[in-house]
Amino acid sequence: MLILTRKLGESIQIGDEIRITFLEIKGKQVRIGIEAPKAVTVHREEVYRMIKEQNQQAACFVGVDQGNLADIWDTLAKGRNGI
Amino acid sequence: MKIDTTRFGMIEADDSRVITMKSGIFGFDNLRRYIVLIQDPKNPLCWLQSMEDGALAFVVIEPCVIKPDYHPEINKAYQTFLEISREEDIALLSIVTIRHQPFSVTANLRAPLVINMDNRLGSQIILEDEQYPVRYDISSVNADPQTITAKAASL
Repeated sequence: MLILTRKLGESIQIGDEIRITFLEIKGKQVRIGIEAPKAVTVHREEVYRMIKEQNQQAACFVGVDQGNLADIWDTLAKGRNGI
Repeated sequence: MKIDTTRFGMIEADDSRVITMKSGIFGFDNLRRYIVLIQDPKNPLCWLQSMEDGALAFVVIEPCVIKPDYHPEINKAYQTFLEISREEDIALLSIVTIRHQPFSVTANLRAPLVINMDNRLGSQIILEDEQYPVRYDISSVNADPQTITAKAASL
């Protein structure tokens, strides 16, 4: 990991198109501004990781031995109707 | 294009049916091309099959089917990214996670797949609004869900 020290109002430039500016420090919180092209998605790391893990779990369902989608939908419908 | 899949055997799809994820599905960034497979139009659960990895398929559902008041705001940057010019061209799909022992079925309402029906470009987006759960329990849906909508059927 590259570690840099910056003052408030200063930026770091990543490649040609991404710039991160350090705006404010309040106690243990840092506010930063990010400028990036539209094709680059920017997310809080914990949210990104949660979504990625959820996708990976979803992809584990193989469907064949675990019941097909019609059976699964029927099971859900029965549950809803209290059967 | 053609691919040998683990779930459905060999499948062939016209290029016009392929959805290109302009930014990949999180965790699967290198895979961009998918098709929607509808097994039964009365069952809103369908498959999103990768056309580049035969072993990868997600179960997906239209979020409006399980949550009729689901109208998340798709911000301008994403609309520009997917070249969306008309709101009616937007189709939404939620990735469904099915677990066994104990059995549970949840849909990800926080990070829907947004698809521009006009050019078939898509992206998984993360909504800023934290009211939308990553694991929305489908089995607790009270209203009787509808079947697949015409929009999804045309995907």
